[in-house]
Amino acid sequence: MPFRAPSSQSAPAAPDARRSAGGRRTLLVALTLCAALIVLLLAPFHVSLYWQRVISMAFMFATLAQAINLIAGFAGYPAFGNVVFFGLGSYAAAIVMVRGGSFALGIGVAVLTSLVTVLLVGPVLLRLRGHYFAIATVGLNEMVKALASNWGPLTGGGMGLSVPLPPWGPAESAQVFYYLLLTTMVGSILIAAWLKVSRLGYACRAIRDDEVKAEAMGLRTTTVKTAVWALSAMLTGVVGAIYAYWFSYVEPPAVFDMLIAIKFFVMFLLGGAATVFGPIVAAFFVEFVSTVIWSNLLHYHLGVLGLGIVLIVLYMPHGFMQFVRDRGSLLAVLFKPKG
Amino acid sequence: MLFAQITLNGLLLGGLYACMAMSFSLIWGVMNIINLAHGSMMLLGAYVTYSLHVRTGIDPILTMPVSAAVLFVLGYSLQKFVFNRAAMRSIYMTLIMTFGLDMMLINLNLALFTADMRSITTWYSGLALDIGGLRIAYTRLLAFVIALLMAFALYYFLKVSRTGRAIRATAQDPRLARVVGIDAARIYGVTFGLGAAMAGATGSLITVVYVFSPVIGDSFTLKSFVVVVLGGLGNVPGTILAGVFLGIVENLVSGFIDAGYRDAISFCLLILILVLRPNGFLGKSSYAVSRA
Repeated sequence: MPFRAPSSQSAPAAPDARRSAGGRRTLLVALTLCAALIVLLLAPFHVSLYWQRVISMAFMFATLAQAINLIAGFAGYPAFGNVVFFGLGSYAAAIVMVRGGSFALGIGVAVLTSLVTVLLVGPVLLRLRGHYFAIATVGLNEMVKALASNWGPLTGGGMGLSVPLPPWGPAESAQVFYYLLLTTMVGSILIAAWLKVSRLGYACRAIRDDEVKAEAMGLRTTTVKTAVWALSAMLTGVVGAIYAYWFSYVEPPAVFDMLIAIKFFVMFLLGGAATVFGPIVAAFFVEFVSTVIWSNLLHYHLGVLGLGIVLIVLYMPHGFMQFVRDRGSLLAVLFKPKG
Repeated sequence: MLFAQITLNGLLLGGLYACMAMSFSLIWGVMNIINLAHGSMMLLGAYVTYSLHVRTGIDPILTMPVSAAVLFVLGYSLQKFVFNRAAMRSIYMTLIMTFGLDMMLINLNLALFTADMRSITTWYSGLALDIGGLRIAYTRLLAFVIALLMAFALYYFLKVSRTGRAIRATAQDPRLARVVGIDAARIYGVTFGLGAAMAGATGSLITVVYVFSPVIGDSFTLKSFVVVVLGGLGNVPGTILAGVFLGIVENLVSGFIDAGYRDAISFCLLILILVLRPNGFLGKSSYAVSRA
């Protein structure tokens, strides 16, 4: 059962009142975005290395959540095991860099690996739907993980690979990865925003709402689904490559970890499917909450996170953005014209 | 001879796979819930058995009713208070929610029983039957027989009993079931309870065969999924056949190729079957829902 796109205008209002309210909203959103971007650009100069790392982590997960949003939110295909591209990307970059290639080349190969993988398995797996598709992608992840653990000469097997360290000192290195991940996240937002208004995006939503009808209308559904999954996979692969350089070590259980997949899936769900900013906001929220839980309740963080997930599903089944919208948009409450 | 021995071991293991997949299939087929906490529920049952065995020295097999009862209560309340309220809405929600549940159960097991690897040694643990050079460990044989008995018991319960027929009716069409006076919410509760109870009882069985710790639940869940897909959702004979098949294939792969590729092979099989025969080996289902 696919998600229904949240309706953008929930309150019925007179046409021109609505237009002016819409104009004000756009302005407010633009201002908020600019402010957020400036704060994030300046943040590394004002916060400790620890928090810089936490925020970088939030950027990383925000990008991953946006990537899953492309295939699961827009096209309605829950690629539960999308973390496979994270692992593939990080291994591709690691293998290139261990052999003396540059980081840029590593990213290129990571993108290419993800793309080729989707082109190979996409047309087959995308014939499945719902649970079957979800678990088949998990199966794909397990298969690639087994391959990475056993193909010793290329991947180092269970020992993993040590990636050459960045040439900068720790403080500069932290800043480099901060800005790199920030750029990737902004890129992912732009991709989602483009998808929202592009032909491909409309095709995706048509497929999500009724695939049979979409096909009857002449849509090449397999091509569309494969294209959008490739987009999602390449984005995930880039993040994986950056992760490999950032952590300078990859091993199968760490980069093919289903917990990563669950985390970005929860962020995506909490943010609301097929929204442009939902997954980003939710990723920041979840990342900070889980950091706080982790540092305060080490022994019970898994259980507390699990409880959090269950509560979210119970009380915010349509995500964060819709939760706020249903309660009369916070912005609208704050900036309601008097009278 | 080696081939026969490995195949035989796989066959015995397959009985357990079939049994763990049966309860997974029941919950999936009737309520369209993929229970990602399935493995952890089994492990909870295993730990119930373990604690009883350590405290009183009782044989693990005899504790099966206790772990089944504990898990039934857990499953019934979960369905009643959590899943009936929310998780039936979309597959995203069920996957995420049962995963959250899985995390809570893993944490519970870790907190109560620590991450140490556990196993139970009974007086018959080292003994084996010798048939013309083939050795059959009593523990595996026992687990195999009981697992199959449980699977058949569930089969007949669903087929013959009043509640069983109500469960099948609800699986086929919840609305029409309500029309003929079946309380669907209660049936869902009973079904989840039953599935959980059977998972718990299977958990008791694995204590004599496996070495276990709170974090190995996921592999059981994924295996259950593979078996259900191989056998066809809701198809009981298919599921049993698929469980045995997976057990044999896995053992042959780890015996003759490389133990590291064991899981990869089972997922290759999974994807092949999903694409080639989406309704499973036997291709016919008895209580599966058509929505998927």
